[in-house]
Amino acid sequence: MSAVAHWSSYPAAGDRLLSFIGIEIHWAILQYVLGLPFMTFIALLLYLRSKDRAWMRFARTLAKGFVIVFAVGAATGTTVEFGLVLLWPNLTEAAGRYIYFPLYAEIFAFLMEVVFLYMLWYGWNKLPPKALAAVAFLGFLGAWYSASMILSVNSYMVAPTGIEPAYKPSGVYLYSQGYPKIQVYMPKDLVPLLNVTALQKVAHVDILGVYGDSVKVAIPARVVQELVREAWSGAKLQDSVLVHFVNKTTVQHLTLAQVQALAAKLGVPAASLAGTKSPVEMLLSIPVKNVLDYILITTVKHIGYMSITFKSPVYPATLMHTIGSALTVSGFTVLAGYALRLLRMPKDADPEYKRYIEKAFKFAAIFAAIAIAYQGFIAGHEMGRAIAYWNPEKFAAIEGTSEHILSLSKLLHTDKIMPLIAYGSLSAKLPSYDKIPVNYCKCSLTGAPNIPDCRPPIIIHYLYYTKIGLAILIGLYGLIVALIVIRNRLGIVDKVLNMVGIRGELPSRFWLMLAPIAAFVAQLVSTLGWAVREIGRKPWTIYGVMTVDVARTVNPAPTWQLALIAIFLVSISLGLIYAVYKILWVPGKPRPR
Amino acid sequence: MVGLAPAFLALTFGLHITMVNLGIGLAWVVPYLKWRADRGERELESVARALMRFYAATYGVAGVFGTAFTVFLLSYYPHFLGFAGNITMIPFGLAIMMIVLHFFSISAYWYGWDRWSRRTHYFIGFLLGISALLIPVGFRAVFAFLNIPAGLGYDPAHHKFYLDVVAALTKNPTYLPLYVKSIAAAFTTTFLVVMGAYAYKYFIAGSEEEKQVALKTAKMFAKPAAIGLGLMLLLGLWYAFSLESVPYKFNNVFASLGWKVADGKAYYNVSWLFVLKMIMYAFQIIAVIYAVPALLKGRLTRTHGKILLAAGVVAIVTIAAGEYLNAFSQYPFFIAVWPDVLSGRVPLSKLASYGINIPKEALPSVVSTVNSVVLLDNTASTQHILRSMGIAKFFPQVNPVNEIAVEGPVVALTFGFLAFLLAAAAYLVFYVLLWPSKTEAKAVAEAEEY
Repeated sequence: MSAVAHWSSYPAAGDRLLSFIGIEIHWAILQYVLGLPFMTFIALLLYLRSKDRAWMRFARTLAKGFVIVFAVGAATGTTVEFGLVLLWPNLTEAAGRYIYFPLYAEIFAFLMEVVFLYMLWYGWNKLPPKALAAVAFLGFLGAWYSASMILSVNSYMVAPTGIEPAYKPSGVYLYSQGYPKIQVYMPKDLVPLLNVTALQKVAHVDILGVYGDSVKVAIPARVVQELVREAWSGAKLQDSVLVHFVNKTTVQHLTLAQVQALAAKLGVPAASLAGTKSPVEMLLSIPVKNVLDYILITTVKHIGYMSITFKSPVYPATLMHTIGSALTVSGFTVLAGYALRLLRMPKDADPEYKRYIEKAFKFAAIFAAIAIAYQGFIAGHEMGRAIAYWNPEKFAAIEGTSEHILSLSKLLHTDKIMPLIAYGSLSAKLPSYDKIPVNYCKCSLTGAPNIPDCRPPIIIHYLYYTKIGLAILIGLYGLIVALIVIRNRLGIVDKVLNMVGIRGELPSRFWLMLAPIAAFVAQLVSTLGWAVREIGRKPWTIYGVMTVDVARTVNPAPTWQLALIAIFLVSISLGLIYAVYKILWVPGKPRPR
Repeated sequence: MVGLAPAFLALTFGLHITMVNLGIGLAWVVPYLKWRADRGERELESVARALMRFYAATYGVAGVFGTAFTVFLLSYYPHFLGFAGNITMIPFGLAIMMIVLHFFSISAYWYGWDRWSRRTHYFIGFLLGISALLIPVGFRAVFAFLNIPAGLGYDPAHHKFYLDVVAALTKNPTYLPLYVKSIAAAFTTTFLVVMGAYAYKYFIAGSEEEKQVALKTAKMFAKPAAIGLGLMLLLGLWYAFSLESVPYKFNNVFASLGWKVADGKAYYNVSWLFVLKMIMYAFQIIAVIYAVPALLKGRLTRTHGKILLAAGVVAIVTIAAGEYLNAFSQYPFFIAVWPDVLSGRVPLSKLASYGINIPKEALPSVVSTVNSVVLLDNTASTQHILRSMGIAKFFPQVNPVNEIAVEGPVVALTFGFLAFLLAAAAYLVFYVLLWPSKTEAKAVAEAEEY
């Protein structure tokens, strides 16, 4: 199967593509909402320290930029929100029920953003500079707070709290023992109804201990996804795989009153059980969704309903990496804007204007270089380590550890050093893509989900290496430009640059002309990173819990409707780009002396 | 007494909907004033700008509260949202695409003022107005669906609900009156608010030129506001008649006032809210009758100005009251006609006329599914209503609200944050946006010149 065919073999390809377009447009804009207010805050601090009006003008220009993109970012955010509700309503329902808190708290972040970012813009001529800096601080804090909430939910989808991965860096694969598994808290009143021995021996369920009102167990992801599938398809216990693990002795001795009490506890109305004749029949006519809900809500309460998503093992790295990406993209975009201004600087330009442009350019160059260095050496590294440990299937696909493909990591010999980078030891082994069972996500009793291969699409290997290659290129570019602008402050830098033939206090036309390309590439790198993260999770929507076909709407739109919406979104985005050009770029053209 | 979850929903919805109504009107008023300014009445340019500034700010806040409403809905009622999300792709999809277009139009129109060619600016203004009218086409379809789920179908072969969109729009007797009434109310309120604000400004304006512009603007919107108020009476009656198909909702509003349908019983009486709304409506009528003739003749007194300003404010409150009346008259049900169906006041045979297509053998399963998502809360009022109607047995005795979303710490956090942010928003609107510039920061002003 080709890489693309593998990707499209999972269900809902059209919906996934449309979601990707919508989220990507939102994300492309959002990076500026995360990055520009932070840069504005720094610029205002520099103004307060130096009283140099160039910094104030720089801050004002950045503020103008983010006010425009914020409005459209809010609109695209609303689109994404409704897109999730309409294309993936079952995912939305599950998120709203069990991991709602960060989404709820994000609303306050959003309110904070809108109030303080608009206060900064509209209050520019009414608030003193110190107050402006304070408002800018609250503005970027609101944006980062917002991101931290949403990213916790996304992190939970990548590696839910309680996930037990199926691979150990020593080279041990645990798929045959039922891994990956999810830890849940089983309410004690359900335990007697289950045949625990059969669950342990056949279904590979591990008993981890007793915690208050429940028993902590680790359930194979293939079982969890089947229960989730049954719940959202409206199945009753009589149609569930749970029937195979019922403790027949206990169930047969249940009285009608006991079953009715259990049903009431599970939120099943008496009227819906009215036609049943015996306690067993009544028990089996209870919907799986009610039972699963009881288990999951108990789990969420034990772990902490306000903190469950923040405990996802990949959350800290995700937050660092995403903020880093936003700062990098913002830095390179601002750098490109001022590079273009330098390129088109008239010979008779106002010297003050020229000084302002040069100052802003130098700031952007240093900022972009620091951001991409942080992104590559710290945040990206931590993200990679987290994925390697908690989602070994995706890591195997990213590294292309298959014998049946053209593996770039083998070609470049990075596979030799990758164990050290990922696991901190050269003796560790990378997971082999070929050794991951193609049916590791499937329930052996039902065969669901109906897909040929459970492994992540191998296309992410090429996307990832393209991303890394491009990131290295713009990293080198950022480094060179930053060194040029600081050469006067560091003699050694000046000597090195002279040695390689780079002259001048500012980059030459060649380097300036590369800046817009670098900005575009920075966005591309970010997009590819997001693509690797999202595509690499398939066939899961929530890793180990819910597959993409369950998350999807039961009434999918026809392809032509999805295509029409995609064209609409792309058109609006192009309109936005043109509007920004007309509104932000054209009025700021250099003034003659 | 309603539960905490419906109360928070009502709060965010009330803030959202009043600003949205102003937005629908201003989306046409601003481009119209700009167009007239371009055709020679230059004095209207400043009015158009001022209203656009107000519009952009209020629309942003409206958008935020709209998003807050959706997230609250998701957190409190995830099962209902999951159910609705599976069947409402087209009405919500249309609304959301228009929201995107509208946001883009606002940004492009406002920031591109005098930067686009006139023709382009007019075109963007046209997009602004059209998208403002099209957003409620989708949303009001959903609201009408919550009156009567017209077009709802169930496919037993695939165990799924679906929506016949054509039937939802054409066979729901409440859809068209609700949409037309909403649009007319939005325009009428906007006209009243603009007229009132500028009639009052006439007396506080700093220069004679500003006074004359204010007077001209107030005059311009006086007749449309009066016509709108008259129209609202007819459209309100139209919507009320359409609600006769939903006895539970209709009787909750009108039964205690003597207008009854079916068994004529009101189980959650909100007629007081209707009376309050009518008092506020009457105030607007009286204000217009009293002050508009003087305004049109140019004999405006300060008292006239204050009364017209008050009429504008009351019009905004009336919008909120009308929306609350529409929402709470079906409390505690998400779908208004559902208790009538369960209690037999609306016979099952009647549902087919609304394009509701449910095979007989699937009926128990459908009833059970809808019952699991249709309740708003489980307060004493709710239990009393369910028992009075004899339909309590259909519902589980557990709280339909996501219990972890209304835990003490979350509620405290919500109150705290809302208070802080409302204070900040009030500061933004009244001090930063509307207050005349007082503290021109020296360095900033210099930087602007520089």
